[in-house]
Parts: sequence; structure tokens; C-alpha cells
Amino acid sequence: MPPNPRRDLLPGTLDMLVLKTLSVQPMHGYAIARHIQRLSQDVFRIEEGSLYPALQRMRQKGWVRAEWRQTPNNQRARYYTITTTGRKQLGAQSAGFDDLVAAIGRVMRTV
Amino acid sequence: MGVTLGADMREWIARVVDWFRRDRLDAELDEELRFHRQHLERDATAEGSGDATSAAKRQLGNLTRTVEDARERWSIPRLDHLQQDVRYALRGLRRSPGFAFGVIATLALGIGANAAMFGVVDRLMFRPYPMLRDPDTAHRIYLQRMARNDQRTESWMEYTRYLDLQRATTTFEKFAAFFPMNQAVGVGDAARERPVAAVSATYFDLFDAPPALGRYFTPDEDRTPMGATVVVLSHGFWQSEFGGQDMLGRTIQVDNLPYTIIGVAPEGFTGITDGSPRALFYPITTYAGSRPGRDATEYFTTYNWGWTSAIGRRKPGVSVEQASADLTNAYLQSWNHQRERSPNMTPPDVAKPRGIAGPIREAAGPDPALEDQTALWVTGVAAIVLLIACANVANLFLGRVLRRRREVALRLALGVSRSRLAAQSLTESLVLSLIGCGAGLVIAQWGGSVLSSLFLPEGAEFNLLTDGRTLAVAVAAALFAAVLTGVAPAVLSTRADMASTLKAGAREGTYHRSRTRTALLVAQGALSVVLLVGAGLFVRSLDHVSSMRIGFDAEHILFVRRELRGLALSDTQRIALHRKLLETAQSIPGVERAAFVSSVPFRSTSTTDLYVEGIDSVHRLGQFTYQTATTDYFPTMGTRILRGRGFSPEDREGAPRVAVVSEGMANVLWPGQESIGKCMRVNADTMPCTTVVGIAEDAVQNSLTSTQWFRYYLPIEQYRPAGGYALMLRTRGDPALHAETVRKALQEVMPGQSYVAAQPLRELIDDRQRSWRMGATMFVAFGGLAVVVAAIGLYAVIGYNVAQRMHEMGVRIALGARSPDVVKLIVGQGVGFAVAGVICGGVLAWIGARYVQPLLFRQSATDPLVFALVAAVLVLVAGMASIVPALRAARADPNSTLRAE
Repeated sequence: MPPNPRRDLLPGTLDMLVLKTLSVQPMHGYAIARHIQRLSQDVFRIEEGSLYPALQRMRQKGWVRAEWRQTPNNQRARYYTITTTGRKQLGAQSAGFDDLVAAIGRVMRTV
Repeated sequence: MGVTLGADMREWIARVVDWFRRDRLDAELDEELRFHRQHLERDATAEGSGDATSAAKRQLGNLTRTVEDARERWSIPRLDHLQQDVRYALRGLRRSPGFAFGVIATLALGIGANAAMFGVVDRLMFRPYPMLRDPDTAHRIYLQRMARNDQRTESWMEYTRYLDLQRATTTFEKFAAFFPMNQAVGVGDAARERPVAAVSATYFDLFDAPPALGRYFTPDEDRTPMGATVVVLSHGFWQSEFGGQDMLGRTIQVDNLPYTIIGVAPEGFTGITDGSPRALFYPITTYAGSRPGRDATEYFTTYNWGWTSAIGRRKPGVSVEQASADLTNAYLQSWNHQRERSPNMTPPDVAKPRGIAGPIREAAGPDPALEDQTALWVTGVAAIVLLIACANVANLFLGRVLRRRREVALRLALGVSRSRLAAQSLTESLVLSLIGCGAGLVIAQWGGSVLSSLFLPEGAEFNLLTDGRTLAVAVAAALFAAVLTGVAPAVLSTRADMASTLKAGAREGTYHRSRTRTALLVAQGALSVVLLVGAGLFVRSLDHVSSMRIGFDAEHILFVRRELRGLALSDTQRIALHRKLLETAQSIPGVERAAFVSSVPFRSTSTTDLYVEGIDSVHRLGQFTYQTATTDYFPTMGTRILRGRGFSPEDREGAPRVAVVSEGMANVLWPGQESIGKCMRVNADTMPCTTVVGIAEDAVQNSLTSTQWFRYYLPIEQYRPAGGYALMLRTRGDPALHAETVRKALQEVMPGQSYVAAQPLRELIDDRQRSWRMGATMFVAFGGLAVVVAAIGLYAVIGYNVAQRMHEMGVRIALGARSPDVVKLIVGQGVGFAVAGVICGGVLAWIGARYVQPLLFRQSATDPLVFALVAAVLVLVAGMASIVPALRAARADPNSTLRAE
């Protein structure tokens, strides 16, 4: 099977994907990137250039918390945890996203 | 909208917090990216792609850009600039500590003076009472009327009047009455006079203050003619007296009755009081109903006894004007009601009764005491001190800008923008102002204890450093000072002409006279003049009032009042007790003479009807007060008998009635005639003649400012043998030293729970002289401060000018000018500034004079002597401030000057 072609993220969806990922369990940045890549079956590759600035922004907005912990391999890594505000934000964004997809789908089917 | 705003706000706070720890965040980001990269490489190797590292590098993208993008989250360029500017300012201060010290000290004095005075005035006038609900709708009730062509404003009324107003008004939701006083609390040795308050049951509803324990009293317990004997303790008293034990249901003796404790007010509840916190509260009708005599049964139906203070709360939607109009109308009805009973009362169209819903704090009310008005003036003075301080600091800054012209030009040439330079200059003022603010608050707290004892009632809390309102004012004053001192230098520094400055090289050949600096100097001088004139006027007032002959010798007199505390004594018993007290007092070593009296100056006066042949209505001539006293009264008080005689032991009951009258009274009753031998009838025109046997010097009664000194003296045995309540004792040396001995000796004579209290008479007079002492102290302190600051400013400017003109001076000397000529030139310049300041300040003071006139004591506000003296002082100070730089100029060396040419 040929690998899926890479696609760019829709603008503004990175936050949502990161929050969704973190709602499973706290993770460090690299794990977040891998998780999204794996679940999207390699469609999305999260560039660090966008991931880390986004994480800092979400931390300042109070959607995620960051703390240094030991990885299972005993390395120091910064783990991100979703906050209550973050969960609310995720709810709002995914609802908006569903509406968006449905709207696009309707247009695409009719025309 | 609110939610977004909140979220934005939160994000910004987080950003600012991150800005402060940006170094750590940078390091953490680096570590995080290192971690990411390691794992990327490891996974790439595991997946077996050819060149793992390069793939990882490719994947990692542009590392630098990632770091930059993330960093943007915690970089705030404006804060960076601010930080740089603050650092630059602090570095500059370290480089010139003398300059920094001068600026900070000057601003600290200015800001400190304002913080302290605000602390005072705020407590006197503005601060709402603790726990008072909705302070804007609660008003003290003031009553105004015309009496002998004078408008009188009173904040107390008869209880009957209070009931009338309550009944006849419609715009008030609730009325509350209160009467603060000192009363004996406790029994036996533990009994002490304490501040207490008799209040209406509605009083507590004014506050949001649920009782800490038990309950407050109900309207049922506060009813005429006599309320219940229940009492609510204040939290502080409960703690200090009973250690916070459950005292509900127990009794406590207050004045002449035992009261049941039913509740404890919450911590911090003070009620409405300016002075010491009240120890306890009990029903106002219980107080009135337990008075001796007819007051107890008549206080709520007659208008003989005015004592009640009233608070009213406006109904919602009613304006203050409407409430006052309503009160006026109710007062008028009440007035007419009273007139039905006493037809000879002034008719309302003459008396013009008027009610006012005013501020609860009397100092902010329609008739503030002299002290309060003076406090407001002194606050204005503090503001002027701050202005002078700012002018001075601005001048110091300007001087430095001039000195730093080359540095500024260089920085401009190197591409620093002018707005950054201005921001830097303002930041520097701000840093200095804020440091000055901190130092000023310390000064304010330190000096505040003095102010507090001068202006505020005893027992008032005064801690500025923990008080948000004062801190806010201090910071506002600092910001104001920063702008005032920073703007001119900022503007000047950005106007620097770089080319010419850089070209001019090291030697600044020409001398720049700065018009701004001159103006600032003259302004400082002028404001100093205003303050000094004020100081002079108040000092002279104080001098007048303290050197005024008040008609007795207060320094050596101890007065002792006896308090029966409800003890019922027959006239015979009273007479016996008073006689015993007098005899005991006379036998105390250190007491030279003693007299028993019925009134004490500044505490009480008595009046009664007086009839004199040939005069229709003595009453109309003014107020005649009387004193009844035992034989030794005049020698005890030191009141001089001008003609005739004082009292003698023969003037006893049954003997022909005699009186001594004051000179002022004799002159108004019998102008141009010999008054000795005249007949007065006291109480009623059917009474037998009371013959005038002596003329005494005029003596002060209730007020130092009164212009009427009509007083007559009657032997106590002839007038009302069982009357009187106080002893006047002439002591050897300081009466305060004898107070305790006297109290102990006399206490032994007192039966039951009755007691005596002794106090030097001087203290009562000191209270009355307070406003002038306050004015004199504060104007002198602030005026002196202003002059010192202005003198330093002048010294700095002249010194700078001289430094600039050293070359010119050298040339002058080389051309034959002698040292005295040079000194004269420089000193003349300094004195010129002073003269300009004196003229401007003199005009200002002259204009302000009529406003301050009512606060002075027998002193014209435009006294030429004061103005002349102030002018002389200022010129002298200016001369002294310029003499040092002048001498330096005179030492200019013509040789080096010419060689340098």
C-alpha cells in the first residue's frame, strides 16, 4: 500500500488536535507529535516549528499545564496536561469543527 | 464580551509573568527541543532510513525559527525597554549618589507631607465609618436657625425634636438617634469613666454588623419614658474586660444602674464616633429616662434639653435636596409646635429654621470646627510643598540635562530615537519619584504620630502604611511628581541640537540662561512666600491667643468634679458633702486655696432671667452667664477685682444679697455710671435686690473667640446653697502633679459609688487653642521646609551658572574687576530671583488672605509686618544661598582663563 500523501492541517485545527490528544493522558511534545502522526495514518506531520509555539500559547491561555517529569526511560521531559478550561475549549472547537465539516460536506455533495 | 476580556486578561497576566522568568523559559525550551531531536534521531535510526541525522534535522525544521516563534510568547518589547530604562536610571543614580539623594529626599518630604495630611483629612472628613451600610444615603441631621442675626448650625437637638422630625418627614427610610459620652462603668475600685453611647434601637440597622454574640436591643426595649436596662458591649471592651467569655445575661453597672448584657458587637464595629471606640451601647431612652430631676419625665415632650444627635437614611430615589427640604418643613412644624407652648419664642420668619441632610462626619458638614477648617488649609499647604519640591527637582534635572548635553547629542548621533530618550528621562523621574514615595511614606508614618495628636481625636487609629487609601494617594502624588519633574527635562533633552553641541567641544564657551529654570526658581520663591506669610499669621494668632488675659490664672488650677452617679441626696446632705469636700481639699498639702463652684470655664455656663431697673429687656443686650461660688473664688482663680470687693464670709444665706459683675457687663448695663451699689433682680423681677459690690476683670466663659464677656458672680450660699458640682483648687506648682493626691484624698469623702475626677484647667484651654496651635505648627513646619528646599534649589542653580561662567569671570577679573564686584554680581542675581519671588508670592498671599481670615485670632490677614518680615527672610536666605558660589566665582583665575584662550 502506498503511503498516504502528506496534507497540511486546516488552519486553527492544530490546537484542537493537541487538546484532543492530551485529553487521553498527559504527554510530552514528541509524544504528542507522534500520536497525531500515527492516528492520522501519517497524513499529518506535526512540525516542531508549529507545535512548540502552539504549546506555549495554550499554556499561557491556561488550556494546558506544563511540568517536568521523568519518562519511563528515566529521561527528563516536559509533560503537558489538559486543564478544565482546555477541556471546555476542546468541546467548543470540536463542535465548531463538526459544523464546519458538515457544512463543507453539504456544499460538496450538492454541487 | 466579559468572558473574552477575562480570558485575554488572563493570557496577558501569564505573558507578563513569563516575561519575568523568560531566561528560565528559554533554557527549558532548549532542553525540550533537544529532547525532541534525540527521539527523532533515535526513531529514524530504528526505522532504518539512510541518513538518520539529516532526516531528523530536516524534520526538525528551522531550529532557530522555532525558538524565535516560541520566545515571542514571552517577549514584550515595551517591558524590555522599560527594564533597560530603569536599569539605566539606576546606573545613573549610582554614578551620582549626591544628586539622587537630593532628589529623593526632596520628593520624599513633599510626598510624605501629602500622604500624612491626606491620612488626617481623610479620617476627619471623608472615610466612611466601618461597616456602615450604603454610606451615601446616610446623613447626619443638622438644624440651622438665626439667633441674634447669627446663623447657628447645630448637629444636636432635643429628643422631642427628633421625634417630631421622624414623624413629620416622608423622605427618610429610617432615623437613628445617638448620644456619645463618658460614663462610669463597673463598681468599686474597678469603676472607670469610659466612652459609651446611648443609641436608639434603629441605630444598629444603619450598619452591616450582625452581633458577634447575642443580639441588639429592640424598639420595645428603647421606648419612652424609660427603656430597658440592657447593654451591648463592643468587641474590644468585651475582650479587654471579660477576656471574651460568654457574658450574656450577666449585669454590668453603667452610671447609676445595673444593665443586663444582651449582646456583643462584631470586631471592628465602632458605631459613629471620631474619638476613642465606645465601650458599650445601651438604649437612648434608658439614658434619658434615668436622668435625675424633671428631664427624665419630660425629655420626650418638652424642648428644654438639646442633646440628641440624629442620623437619617434617605429612601431610594430621594435626592439630598429633597430630603433637606423635607427636614426643613418638619423642623418648621416642630418649631411652631414648640411656640404654642412658649409664645415668646422667636417667630419662624425671623428664626428661619432649616434642616440639612448633611455628611455624617461633622468636619465635612455645614459648620465645621476651626480645627477641621485649619486641617483642610494645612492639606493645601502640603500640596504646595509638593509643588515646590517638584519645581526644585525639575530644576535639578534640567541642570543635569544641560550638563549632559554632549552625551545626549552623542546618543542621538548614534541613532537612539528621540522618543526613547524622552522615555528614558521620564523613567528616571518615575524611578526617583517612586523611591521618594517609599521614603515619604516612612516619613509620613513617623511624622504622622505628631499630626495625629494635633488633628485627630484621642484614640483615633492612624497607621498609614497599611492603609490602602493613603498608599493610593501617595502613589498618585509620586506619579504626579514624576510627570511634573520629568516632562521639562524630557522635552529639553530631545530638543538638543546635536551638530552644534558636538562641535562645541569640551569647553562650553557661552553661558546659557534657561528661562524655564528661572521661572521654576521664581515659582518656588513665590510659593515659599505664601507659606511663610501663612506661618507668620498663624504664629501671631497663637501668640495673641496665648498671651490673651482670659480673666483667670489657668496655669495653677486643678478642677475636680464630683459625680454622684445617681446617688439621691437631700439638699442638706448635698450641702454637707460639698462643705466636707471643700474642707478636705483645703487641708491637702500643696493646695493653697479652694472654692466650690457651679460652672467650669469651657465646660458649662448657666443663665437665668435678669432684671435691672431702667432696662426693658436685659436679655436683648446679650447673653449674661452667672457663676455661683464659695468665698475664696476670686483669690483661687486669680480673677482680679477691679473695684469694690469680692466675696466675704459674711455673704451667707439670710445676709443682704450681693453680686460681683464683670467689667464688660457693668459697662453694658450701666454705661458711664458707677455700677457698685446698683440693684439687679435675679430669676424674677419680684425677687429682692441683689446689690453689686464689686467689679471683676472680664473672664472667658465658653469660647475664646466670643466678643461678649458678660458674667456675674453670686455667693453660692445666697443663691442656691445645694448647687454646684466642682471644686477649683489653686495648687503650689504644676496642678497635674497634685491631681492624683487630690483625687485620692477627696474620694474618701464620697459616699457609695459616687466619685471625683481631677483635671488641670489648663487642659481645657489647650483644647480651645488647638486650631491656632495646629495652624502655627504646621505652617511653620511646612513653610520652613519650603524655604529650605527653595534655598537648595537656588544654590544649585547659581552654582551651575557660576560653573558655566567661570571663563567669563576670569575675563572680567583680568580686565580689572575686583572680587567684591564679582560677588556682588552673583549674589545680586540670587537676590533678584528672591525679589521676583517675593513680589509674586506677596500678591498671591494678599489674594488668599481674606479666605484665611476667619481662622486667625485677632490678627489681620494682611498684616504688613508679617509680609515685610517674610520678604526680608526670603531675600536673606537667597543672599546666603548665593554667597558660596559667588565666592567661588571671585576666585576665578585670570591667568588660566587667558592661557586657555
